[in-house]
Amino acid sequence: MNQLLNRTLLYYAFLATTLLLLSAPLFYSQMQRLYIDDVDEAINLRREEFQRYHLPLLQKKEVAIWNKYNRDIWILPDTITQPVGQIQEAVFLDTLHQEWEPYRVLYDRIAINRQPFMLRIRINLVESEDLIKALVKLYIGLLVVLSGVLFVLTRVVSKRLWKPFYDTLHQIEKFNIEQPALPVFPDTAIMEFKQLNTGLISLINANLKAYQRQKEFTENAAHELQTPLAVFQSKLDLLLQHPSLLEEQAAIIASLYETASRLSRINKNLLLLAKLGSRQFYERQAVEVGTIITEVLPYFTEQAQQKNLHIQTHLPDQPVWVQAHKGLLEIMIHNLFLNAIRHNVASGSISLHLIQKQLTINNTGETIPLEEELLFERFAKTSSHVQSSGLGLAIVHQICQLHGWQVMYQFPNQQHQFTVNF
Amino acid sequence: MKILIIEDEEALAQSIVAYLKEQNYRCELAGTFREAQYKIQLYDYDCILLDLMLPGGDGLRLLGELKKLNKQEGVIIISAKNSLEDKIEGLQIGADDYLAKPFHLSELSARIYSLIRRKQFANRNLIQVNELQIDLLAKVVTVKSEAVSITKKEFDLLLFLIGNKNRVISKSALAEHLSGDMADMLDNYDFVYAHIKNLKKKLSDAGLPDYIKTLYGMGYKWEA
Repeated sequence: MNQLLNRTLLYYAFLATTLLLLSAPLFYSQMQRLYIDDVDEAINLRREEFQRYHLPLLQKKEVAIWNKYNRDIWILPDTITQPVGQIQEAVFLDTLHQEWEPYRVLYDRIAINRQPFMLRIRINLVESEDLIKALVKLYIGLLVVLSGVLFVLTRVVSKRLWKPFYDTLHQIEKFNIEQPALPVFPDTAIMEFKQLNTGLISLINANLKAYQRQKEFTENAAHELQTPLAVFQSKLDLLLQHPSLLEEQAAIIASLYETASRLSRINKNLLLLAKLGSRQFYERQAVEVGTIITEVLPYFTEQAQQKNLHIQTHLPDQPVWVQAHKGLLEIMIHNLFLNAIRHNVASGSISLHLIQKQLTINNTGETIPLEEELLFERFAKTSSHVQSSGLGLAIVHQICQLHGWQVMYQFPNQQHQFTVNF
Repeated sequence: MKILIIEDEEALAQSIVAYLKEQNYRCELAGTFREAQYKIQLYDYDCILLDLMLPGGDGLRLLGELKKLNKQEGVIIISAKNSLEDKIEGLQIGADDYLAKPFHLSELSARIYSLIRRKQFANRNLIQVNELQIDLLAKVVTVKSEAVSITKKEFDLLLFLIGNKNRVISKSALAEHLSGDMADMLDNYDFVYAHIKNLKKKLSDAGLPDYIKTLYGMGYKWEA
């Protein structure tokens, strides 16, 4: 995972390193230049001092002695050919350590007792090397420490600085459009976060409004359909009373009845879907799941007999209590049961397992696993089953969402399996 | 027996009238709130069917008025708003029953039958149908003072059939009646046949003629 803070720190570290690598040679060469300027200045100073204080008093015979007791200012014969009057780099042999060392050197023509000589002033650069190296080390050390401090500071400050952002993120992750609870963003003094929060709240509100409108539309549409359906069905009831009905006509009426009840089933389910999440379903009470299963079992056994299905239930000895809306929990169990009956094969089986916090329903059926993505969608046609409105599992899914339960589909050993984790 | 049908949907009201007339009920119609108000104040009925969404007012207000007038009519709410709140509110204000649209006319008829019997026999819950004596409270059926052992479902079925005497009841209406809350999810009506068969057998064992007629496998009728 690429976390924001880690990213920030990575940039910092990269920048600091680059700065170090680039600046160290620059710093070094700057130091070097400064030092050489210094040395050159010292050489010029010595030349002036020599010219002013020593040269007027110097005798020709004293030259050898002078050279004997001076290390860096020598008077040489004028046979030496070197550029005069400008300071240059040169190396001389350090006789003590037998190694060459860098010097700054100045040659100058002088006259002693009217005889020309060559003056050589030099200063060793060895100390400067060490000094510069030490300085660069110090500098790098300083930079490293600085980077480290920056690093820690960034971590701490960013963590605190970005806290509102993370709070907001956390709130949004928890948000569910089905739930009435609007996310409450903590107050923040930082303008951008304030903007983010206001933006999010207006976005959420707009979405909620749209969602609400869509729900209302569905609800109203379903309502409006109820009355014509009622008329339709009542006319069928009247038609059925005709004493002169022929068998074929009766068959047509029977299939119209079936259509009418399918229509009204779809309608009722749509209404339920539209209403899920409205206030009337917020109440929660402690419900014992096993009891509900035991209550509806005879009815489903009766339904299953038509297909010659074998129903097995495994209920635990301990009661399984959940906090739920009783009616919705019942609907969920009905739908799961019915689904297992509806999509089963003749002489198949259904087994239901209830343990603490988990309900599993297995059933035989088509030997191809269903597509889980589509399964809980509204009007998902996962089978060619004519009776199926494709809303039952969507309702199960919504009910689970509403209670914060998890519903899963799997296909172990050629059986369809639905699991609800309470 | 007089019934007032307060329903603004003309076609549905007409269907209800046509069905109930054959059951020897006298029906009157009211299509608006005002009309209903007027009729309630002037006449007495045995039973009132009340749609909640009326032109001119909320049907629930009519319920309040009935209570104020101290009327004894049994009221069945018939509403397209199949919401729990409505149902609870309606029953609290004093309706006796609540039927969500769309419903089967046979279901309506059976409920009217039960309601009127409950109101009429407030003290004795016994009704006599042909050779049958039915105790509504104890849910006991006796034939020539012999009790017939009967399951709860069979008892429901019997009352449903009797409440629709001489009318053809569709298989789906029976199935939905027997399934109650689960009716919305029915796939298969064949289980109705099993219950009918058992009931027929018990009644004929008790020495009753065969009152229950099967029609083309699409419906049943209590013929007497």
